[in-house]
Amino acid sequence: MSGMETSGTRYLGPGWKAILRQALQLLAASLLLGGAIWSLRTDRLPLTADLEIYQLELAAPVVNIPEALELYDQGNHLFIDTRADLQTGQEAIPGTFVLRSATFADDLRALFDYLGPEDPLIIYGDGNLTLDSNIVLKLQERGYQNLLILKGGFPAWAGGGGETSTYRGDLDQ
Amino acid sequence: MTPVEPQSTSAGQTPGNRTVNLLVLACRLAVGGILIYASLDKLAQPAAFAETINHYRMLPGSLLHAMAQLLPVVEIVTGAALILGVNTRGAALLAAGLTLLFMIAITSALVRNLDISCGCFHTQGGHRVGLDLLWRDFVLLVLCLPPLLAKHVGPGLYRSR
Repeated sequence: MSGMETSGTRYLGPGWKAILRQALQLLAASLLLGGAIWSLRTDRLPLTADLEIYQLELAAPVVNIPEALELYDQGNHLFIDTRADLQTGQEAIPGTFVLRSATFADDLRALFDYLGPEDPLIIYGDGNLTLDSNIVLKLQERGYQNLLILKGGFPAWAGGGGETSTYRGDLDQ
Repeated sequence: MTPVEPQSTSAGQTPGNRTVNLLVLACRLAVGGILIYASLDKLAQPAAFAETINHYRMLPGSLLHAMAQLLPVVEIVTGAALILGVNTRGAALLAAGLTLLFMIAITSALVRNLDISCGCFHTQGGHRVGLDLLWRDFVLLVLCLPPLLAKHVGPGLYRSR
């Protein structure tokens, strides 16, 4: 029963049916107005997006799993894990170093003797390209230029047959 | 439009009622003003707003442009309806729905560690998505409740039956 549809002095609360009808009327008005604006404006967007325009702009090239496996076998690249929740005992790419977004400066300082700006690095996380790209930007600010981002992150690496080992939390693993 | 909301009358009002009515009116004006302000830059720059929506990676690409062009219109219509008192309760419901939608998008971005700007008021160089935004939207959601639930919605273009 709707309160507003009930006559009398007692207020029993809003009449939800009527409110919903009002909201739908406003949505319909928005749709009409939106259509009118869309048809009148000269810089209107096509209704279907060209998705290539919206490809995520990343700070470094993306490398896919087969290419990354090849680079791993060549042994020239170092792997950087960006996963914020990586704990000792979890699986990671063997020989990986850890650079987390929240503790980036401290993590990089700890790796001072192991990483040089000239080293080729492959950045990987949990598949979040935006997060990896942010780490790449921070590395670039510090002079690192030879950087790649692993598409799909560690889940794709493990799923693609890449070698894994238990992360021990120290630098000599 | 459906004239369902009881309007305020000055006769027979207690000071308590007047305070509540003023509160409802203040909430309407605040939420309506915020929604209209939030829509302006998005309306002016639909391409930039589409890109902002895309950064959330929640919508399929086929809906990106439609959403980018419709959402600011819904915001401005809802805001104007709240301020003018047209379908006020429906507008309050829509405003609450929009705010909930924004909160879901922000939470989703936070959970996925997306480092993006929210696109709430400005399509470029806006506020970074964070917990403070969730609080801000929560306050906005609370402000939607008085016009939605109070006995009187205050002055408006439509009179009560």
